[in-house]
Formats: sequence, C-alpha cells, structure tokens
Amino acid sequence: MPTKYLVVFAQSHSDFRIPELKSIAELHGFPLHLPDPCDPNRPFMVIELDQEEHARLLAKRCILIKSISEFYGQGDNYDQLHAAVRKNEALWEQYKQDTSFRFSVAAYNHSITKSRQREVMESFGYMEFLGRIDLKSPTIVLGCYEEYGDTRGKEFSNKVVDGQFRQVYFGRLIEEGSARALISRFDVKKRAYFGNTSMEAEISLLMANQCLARPGSLVYDPFMGTGSMAYPTSHFGSFVVGSDIDGRQMRGKGKQPTPGVLRAAAQYGTAHRIVDLLTFDVTRNPWRCGGLFDAIVTDPPYGVRAGAKRLGRRRSPTPKQLEAYLEHQAAPRPADQPYIPPTKPYELSELARDLVVLARYLLKPEGRLVFFLPTVNDEYEDVDIYTMLCEGMELIANSLQDFGSWGRRLVTIKKITSDIYPIPFSDNSGQSQSTAQHEPAHKDFREKYFQGFRKGSTSLYDGVVQ
Amino acid sequence: MVRLITHNLLSCHAKGCTTNNFPLQFKDAEIEHREADFNPEFIRGLLPKIEWKALVDTAKELGDTSLPYEQPEMMDDELLKTLHHVLLEMHVEEGQMICPNCNHVYPISNGIPNMLLAEHEIA
Repeated sequence: MPTKYLVVFAQSHSDFRIPELKSIAELHGFPLHLPDPCDPNRPFMVIELDQEEHARLLAKRCILIKSISEFYGQGDNYDQLHAAVRKNEALWEQYKQDTSFRFSVAAYNHSITKSRQREVMESFGYMEFLGRIDLKSPTIVLGCYEEYGDTRGKEFSNKVVDGQFRQVYFGRLIEEGSARALISRFDVKKRAYFGNTSMEAEISLLMANQCLARPGSLVYDPFMGTGSMAYPTSHFGSFVVGSDIDGRQMRGKGKQPTPGVLRAAAQYGTAHRIVDLLTFDVTRNPWRCGGLFDAIVTDPPYGVRAGAKRLGRRRSPTPKQLEAYLEHQAAPRPADQPYIPPTKPYELSELARDLVVLARYLLKPEGRLVFFLPTVNDEYEDVDIYTMLCEGMELIANSLQDFGSWGRRLVTIKKITSDIYPIPFSDNSGQSQSTAQHEPAHKDFREKYFQGFRKGSTSLYDGVVQ
Repeated sequence: MVRLITHNLLSCHAKGCTTNNFPLQFKDAEIEHREADFNPEFIRGLLPKIEWKALVDTAKELGDTSLPYEQPEMMDDELLKTLHHVLLEMHVEEGQMICPNCNHVYPISNGIPNMLLAEHEIA
C-alpha cells in the first residue's frame, strides 16, 4: 500500500523539481505518485511511495531534495494539523513507548523564535512519547515545518507575521538529502580544469539525473567543451564519450600532455570512465552506426560567450580562392602547424532540430537526449519545443532556469521508437534535413541577446539602458 | 585514449568514402595500458555493436592476441575480462589512424584524434 511522504525541497530551480523526482524514480524502477493538483513552486510536497526504501533512494540521488519524512499531517493552522496527526496515530504509536526522539521546528521564508519553537513542540504533548529526548543521536526526528508565503517584491506592510503561515506540515524524518553535498564537490572553482563556458555544478548534476546516469550506461556529449557534463555523469557510473569541433577546449592550454578534461576527471576519480575525446564536427561525424548511446547530454554553445560552429564557409570561395586553397592543401605542412579547416556559425534553432534528429539515430531505444536551450522569455511558446521534435522522439521534461528577460530551458527528450532511421546528414552536405515553418523564440538567440531582447530593434545598442 | 571500443565504432567519413572505410588502420601507435573498472554488463551491452573481426585484427596489430578469431556464442567471465582489457584498457596515445579506402590520415595527439575534415572533403 502506498504511504505518504513529505518532501522538503531546496530553495532553487523549482521548475526542475518534478522532472528530477520522476527521473530518479524511473532510474530505480519504482512507482511515484504525485499529488493532484501539484504545485512545484511550493517548497513542500506530499508524495506517495510504495516503500520507505524508495524515499531513501530519492533523498540520496535528487539534488533538489533537502529531506524526506514520513508524512503525519498538515493544516492551515495548528488545530487542523493536530487533528490530522491524531487521526494518523497508527503511523506513530509504535514510537510511543521507548524510542529516543528529538523535535525540529523550522519555517520556510521565516525564522521562529526559540520560545515559540518550544511552544510548538509542547503542543504535540498528546502524542505521549515516553522515550528519552536525545538531541545528539535520537532514533527518530520529528519535524514540523511552517510554510510562509513568498514576500519578495512585496510592500513592507505585507511582510510575514509570525504564526500567519500558509500551511504547516508534520512528519518523521526518513532521510536528509545527501546529494546536495555534491554541489560543493563539483564546484567549478575547485576544479583542476574549467573554462568560461563551464556549467555550474548544481545544474550539471541535475542534467546527470535527467539523463539517468548510472553504472554501465554509455553517454555522449557532442559539444564537450571543457567537459562540465562528463564529471557528474561519470561520477554516477556512466561511461562518457565526448567530441567537439574545437579540440583546444578539451585539451586546455599549457604544455601538459594530459588533456584538461582528463585532469579534472582524475580529480573526481572518474578518468577511467571518460572513454574517449575526439575532435570533429558533429554534423559530419564518423560514427559507424546508430543505436550506440544510452543518453546524449550536452550544453550546446548558443553564442553569448561562444557561438556554435560547423565546418564550411559563410560564403563559397571564388574560383581563384578555391585554387589557392587546393594548392595550400596539397603543400607539405610542418607537424606543429596542423591544418585548421574553416568554420561557419551554426544557427541555434537549426542546431536544436538537427540535434533531435541526430539523437534519434545515435540513441538506443528508450535513450534520452538532455540539453539546454536558451530562449527569450516574453516570446517563448511551448510550440517552440514541440516543433523541434520529430517522429519517435517524445518530450518528457522542459524546465526553465529564469534569468529575467531570457532563460534557458533544460529539455529532456526520450526516444520512444526502436525503428531504424536513416543516418542524418548522410548526403554529407551538412545541411539540415528538417525544416520548420514555425519561427521559435530561440532562433537567432545571439542577436536577440545583444539587442537586449527588444522586439524589432535592429541596432546593437538599442536595448542598452541609458 | 584512443581506446579500441571507440576505434571499433568509427569509420572514415570523408566525402565519397562509403565502402571499405572501416576499420581505420593504426600507424606509429604509441600504446599505454591503464586499468579501468570491470563492468560485465557494460561489456555485454556493447557486444551487439562491436565488429568482432575488426576488433581482433586491430588488437593483433597492436600486439594483443588474447581474443579468439571467431566470436564465441557463450560469453564467460574470463572472456568478458579479456574483452574488457582489449576494449577499455589499451590506449593509443600518439600515432595515426588511416582509412583503408581513401588513405585519409587522422592524427592522434595526446590521446585525442583529429577527425575534422578538410574543406575539399566535405560536400
């Protein structure tokens, strides 16, 4: 029979909470029942699980979980709460006799004075716990959480008043969220090798969870860069292959022979799981066959700090230029000056569509594509994402990290087909085979970013606040 | 790096090179052996994608003859361990990979192969 559990979330990335819960439940293969209606913006959520062990698994792996408790009751006020808790006596009467315990009283968006904390604890006197109170190592911890409304941007007179909470929850602590400690472990500033486009630790961990990183799975990052996604994914046991059109990002500067990505992975003890790093343009890739990877996880360059590039030239060369090029190409080259082919920009909406088609080819059935897509918040519509999909690829999560006028969406797409599809870019023209009628908000994102997201503005400086 | 698992999944992708473009041949390969965690499920999962003959031939070129010529139908633990060593623990750090068909040279430097195509090799 399912039991109710109270999830306390960390105060960040609320849009990512539910996708993460679902992903980790799927990873471990247990059912998860979410409340209906379900508001991911509130920091407390009562979910149903079949076993206490499942609650522990969630708390050990979900980056956004602070703790999970067995749920005893909730209410708009303490009278309601206590009535609910009394009704659930069957859940807690086993602890009455001689279980050592401790109370914890906390609040979201508010702090409760010591004296009122004591009042709250004493109001639970009817539970008649006879065991020893043990503050250091109790057998059970009973947690009471008051949830106050969000006060950001409100008038001073609307600030929270002690005791006037939105909801109060009570339960027995099962497990503190231990995955949050990984955020500090993977801190970019403490990493042996990183670049200015490295992804922050918390988000890269969330991406690793979205792609169901697990021992023995094979994960591919086609825009490897400085390897931000490889470290958390390999930490969870996946084998990672990375490619990039620019090998310098993976190697790093300096004379050290070991590539930067491997030096950073060595720091996390996962260098042996970075299978290989390769330099090539993913739109002209040398993969011999499809159906190779369990997941593709990537942060495509979207042009603010570094733009996406692909092989080719912006303009085709004149016959004279072409002749000069071929002559240059045929001439012997010193070993320390490798040939660097010309590249041209890769427009974001085209890249995104290509990525989905490529993922359908390269992923195993049930495999996941997880990537970030920056977009203009005012112009964004859900259809932007749906028009990116192709047959056999299904959207399973779309979470916004909001930066105000723009944001980036973590898109998770699952391959729901086991049909064999033709090799994308098989004509080797590098041209996109998909065309879209709809113009999504993320099209020409770079230009929009530098124009300050002002509609119809043409000058680079239009959007700058004077 | 380059490990034989990756090598077995790569073929030449230059313009017009579509037959006999696999496996790429190693030249002047400098090999390092590095231990990796043995994960039998991972190796088993890879097998359907591995071209056995190419793997055995390439391993032999690099001086490892531990794999049987014919792919055995049953995979015992011993064989999985041998495969694990060949696929994941042999790293080609320097050298070249050459296409048997068009002779395109993919140089390997510090374990990273450069598989970018030149302008005239793309359509």
